[in-house]
Amino acid sequence: MEYRPRTPREGVNVSAVHPLSELVTLVLGISLAVVVLVVAAFAVIEVVIRWVPPSFESRVFASLWSADLGSEPEDPRFDAAAALLGRLESHWEENPYELRLAIMEEESANAFAVPGGTIYLTRGLLDSVESENELAFVLGHELGHFRNRDHLRSLGRGLIVSLALSALVGGSAAESLPQVVTALTESGFAREQEEDADAFGISLVQAEYGHVAGADGFFKRLPDANADIADEFASYLATHPVSEARIENLWSLAAENRWPLTGELTPLPR
Amino acid sequence: MILSNTEEIPGRTIREFYGVVTGSTVRAKHIGRDFMASLKNLVGGELKGYTELLNEARQEALERMSEQARSIGANAVVNVRFSTSSVAQGAAELFAYGTAVKVD
Amino acid sequence: MTGAAIKLGFPLLLLFGTYLIGSAVEKTHYREIRIREARSRRFPTVNFRTPPKSWNIVGAEMVAGNVVISIDYFKRFLAGLRMLFGGRVASYESLLDRARREAILRMKETAFERGYNAVINVRIETSRLASSNRKGEGTAGVEILAFGTAVKFAK
Repeated sequence: MEYRPRTPREGVNVSAVHPLSELVTLVLGISLAVVVLVVAAFAVIEVVIRWVPPSFESRVFASLWSADLGSEPEDPRFDAAAALLGRLESHWEENPYELRLAIMEEESANAFAVPGGTIYLTRGLLDSVESENELAFVLGHELGHFRNRDHLRSLGRGLIVSLALSALVGGSAAESLPQVVTALTESGFAREQEEDADAFGISLVQAEYGHVAGADGFFKRLPDANADIADEFASYLATHPVSEARIENLWSLAAENRWPLTGELTPLPR
Repeated sequence: MILSNTEEIPGRTIREFYGVVTGSTVRAKHIGRDFMASLKNLVGGELKGYTELLNEARQEALERMSEQARSIGANAVVNVRFSTSSVAQGAAELFAYGTAVKVD
Repeated sequence: MTGAAIKLGFPLLLLFGTYLIGSAVEKTHYREIRIREARSRRFPTVNFRTPPKSWNIVGAEMVAGNVVISIDYFKRFLAGLRMLFGGRVASYESLLDRARREAILRMKETAFERGYNAVINVRIETSRLASSNRKGEGTAGVEILAFGTAVKFAK
């Protein structure tokens, strides 16, 4: 046999697809799949929540009330706040919860609702609110979260999405894309939750005082690092809608219902 | 294209030889197959999904090798060898190579 | 806003930058490979063991050529996305193709420099070098080794 020098055709062992077009196709495809997954997971949670009665919730999560997270200090300001919570609850007729208030010793002002029926306020918030009306709105907002079962929703959503993501994607190098898309989708839903809680909160304020003056005090003082109402992107990524927008929503809701915007503010004991 | 993993094609004579030709493809499994595989890892048995996947990939590698051979005018590839190696977590390269020849 | 811009912008910039640089490097390498392949066309490289009877072999030595290639950020990102969907990982194919041709060329050139006339019984091995971070799951590089027996003809 004889040797004949020949060179094979170029490009047999490479795919003809252009890398940039493959990148675009993959990114779009994966983003779509993630959005569908997240929306489906949320729909499942909605159904599940309907079947979890508050009594069951209190029983299972009551142990989450831990003295380490917060406490019931002995001071008149706390007592006034607890009493206020009780009065606000009385305006919520179908309240199935036994709610309790606790204070977290932290300087930043914050408040959140926890499954089982506990509302935590930080020391920073308790000390910085300037009137009872302002605190009433904050507490009312948290009551709104309980009414909408938002705290359960967040728990369920977080669980399902992180389970699904780690089962499907976990450990692979391209985790970042699904994570970003998930965060964006989640925050879209979260904003709606916050707005609904705001609406309930302000209706409770109206029921308690007969006017809604002072309710926005908390927002006015929140440090707004990215405070630009035209900054759609940053506010979208944040789960709490930008304060200016929230204040406006409050006022338009009040205007729609013809609730008085001015009135006397009740002070809190020092 | 005649393929053989022997040095000669039984019953035929090699007239000319051209050199090494290669065919390779890199394939990744997808999430569905991976999931089924992890379930199978609990009970044992053949991972049919992976078997299919690697079969397809090997076929493609052979096809590409034959393509290279065809492009230089060969009608057979002798001494075909396979090599499988992982190039990343979750992706494997299927590689086939041999010597392209002309037999009569 | 600048926070979000930096968070998204930097990886995108890195992706695009490494894509441009990577494809430039690849084009240059391919051009160089084609030139060297053309130059070494007359040097037989085969993977069978029995040399043709017409060759009068007077000397033999094992020769090898190897190369370790790294995977650039863009290719790795693209492959990572592809590994979610499954299918052909096109970004790695060109990398491995280049590396293999380079390894074979190095083997040929080594044999040629040492005065041999052909290489028989060529074998090719590929292995993945795991990176020490990410618990050995990441790939630091891929090594391709081409080795065979170089033979010398009597003139």
